Amino acid sequence: MSNEHDDTKAGDANDQLEPAGGGDRREVDALGLDNPARRKFLTRTAVGGGAALAGLAAGYGAIEYSVQGRPSKNYPEIDEAIFKPKDQRDVVLTFANSKALNEKHPERNEQYNRLQKKEFDFVAGFRDMYAKPWDNNKPGYTQMDRALQLAGWHPLGVAGSRKSANLQPNTPLHSWDQSDVEEEQYKFDDKQAASDAIKSAARVFGAVKCGIARQDKRWDYDPLYDLETNQELSWEEDFPFKPKSVIVMLTPQDYDCVATAPAWTADGTYGAGYTQMGIQADQMAKFLRAMGYHAVSAGNDLGSSVPYAIMAGLGEGARNGTLIAPLVGPRIRICKVYTDFDFVEYDQPHTWGITDFCLSCGKCAEACPADAIPLPSDKNGGYGFEPSYEFSDEPGYTWNNHHGIKKFYSDAKKCYNFWVENGGGCGACIASCTFNEPDFWHHKFILGITPASPKPLHALMAQMHPAFGYGHTNDPAKAEKFWKTGEGMRVNSSMKNNIGTSNKS
Amino acid sequence: MELFQWFCMGILFVLSVAALSYLSVVVKLKWYTLASLALGAFLILFGIGWAGASFLEGIAQSGALALILFCGSGVVLMTLTWRFLVAPELSKQSD
Ligand code: SF4
Ligand code: SF4
Repeated sequence: MSNEHDDTKAGDANDQLEPAGGGDRREVDALGLDNPARRKFLTRTAVGGGAALAGLAAGYGAIEYSVQGRPSKNYPEIDEAIFKPKDQRDVVLTFANSKALNEKHPERNEQYNRLQKKEFDFVAGFRDMYAKPWDNNKPGYTQMDRALQLAGWHPLGVAGSRKSANLQPNTPLHSWDQSDVEEEQYKFDDKQAASDAIKSAARVFGAVKCGIARQDKRWDYDPLYDLETNQELSWEEDFPFKPKSVIVMLTPQDYDCVATAPAWTADGTYGAGYTQMGIQADQMAKFLRAMGYHAVSAGNDLGSSVPYAIMAGLGEGARNGTLIAPLVGPRIRICKVYTDFDFVEYDQPHTWGITDFCLSCGKCAEACPADAIPLPSDKNGGYGFEPSYEFSDEPGYTWNNHHGIKKFYSDAKKCYNFWVENGGGCGACIASCTFNEPDFWHHKFILGITPASPKPLHALMAQMHPAFGYGHTNDPAKAEKFWKTGEGMRVNSSMKNNIGTSNKS
Repeated sequence: MELFQWFCMGILFVLSVAALSYLSVVVKLKWYTLASLALGAFLILFGIGWAGASFLEGIAQSGALALILFCGSGVVLMTLTWRFLVAPELSKQSD
């Protein structure tokens, strides 16, 4: 192959720049090109530009294809020898909200305090959390931040469903009452039409993503537990019908507000997110009941949200214990609707290389003020069928973890303890996450190339994230910045500020 | 603003393609010289696109670093290519 452009007769053009002898002067244009050279220039511009455009279009197509994810054959990996259904009473948020459970298991609190050298009272925690006084000289912890925090959660409390965040089942927004199920059942032409209709409705209700999974005993809390009456509830005898499908919806949270974490400001968007979860799950359940099918909505209650969202193809499980949804990252809340409607096209788990990325990242663990998240350098990188965090070999210490599923295990007890000390929900692991990005093309590009990039590059990409100015936490300037982001809201010409998604309907 | 950014990028793209075509017509260039210049132009455009998006999303640090890393390496690549591969050809032709 020739190293030169054989058709490049540079001399042709050059000749024109010099007056040719003998009066045989050819006309040259402003660029110093005569007709043949000009034709060559135009041809090359068209061909070169076309080739470059084709290359860019191919790259764009590849990125678009990549962000759809690939079906995952690996999820879930279960160790049947140690796996058993998760008792709702063994979830920190339920335990911490039940005096009866605390009295039944005083050893849990005692062991935690002994090992962690703390004087923490699990059951008094939530009461103390919002009693912490504000300091108007401390950005992120002022009266205004407290007000945002309280306001975010307020509607959920008014609706009587505040405790759904602590897994209380059968609250008003997530009622088990099925008396309004229409007698006539709406029939869809085919399963795809049914799935599309449900997802269209989800968008109207405010979901940023929606997927449909089969109901799966492995992810349901069993037995369920009523915190008000201290009673066990059974799926077979107490739940009003036999669920077959679980519709999973994601609610977005404000990027700039999450960025203030662990300040109280961030708790404003968490509360608002929970409120939205309550509303949109309730709306979806009503939508199904009005079409003649049984449906019960759920916030954190009934089943474990992250595995259901993975089964519904919405994202991957991450080191920080959250779901990472492509293009929104972990900046989402998950709500669910259990229904007996099963004439749907079910979604499948997908991978975007996110869990793999987490193996070499660990930015969330570095940012965690409670050291509750395992680092990549910890035993097995914190990834396995059982917890490997500090004290996890102490008998009974990991009572809150769901053993037997291959995932990252964090110590939620330490996390909850920090919330109480902090005076509000934290979320530093969300704000600092490498996948927590605003909605702009370069983040989509990075997400798109992640599955194809070699592992050693993942660690570098994780390092570059803070170097590029993303993911810093515990920064008072972020709270100050947040309170100025309302500027321009009269017109709000972008919409990216409050959604943070890929602008796809 | 984002649309305006893409519009400007489009103009810059067309100008870059035209400039490279023009150069390839007036100077005898090896294929790798052209490829190196094209890569340099791509890096500069990529850096401008990244920086524009970063400034729009309000993360100035990302924009600044993109200008240094991507545009900077594009400029260095183009300068070196010009100095060692294009300029000698130009002077050869004018001799
Ligand atoms: S919410 Fe805060 S304390 Fe809890 S795991 Fe995340 S970073 Fe750690
Ligand atoms: S910060 Fe890194 S390790 Fe943590 S969840 Fe996000 S991607 Fe995974």
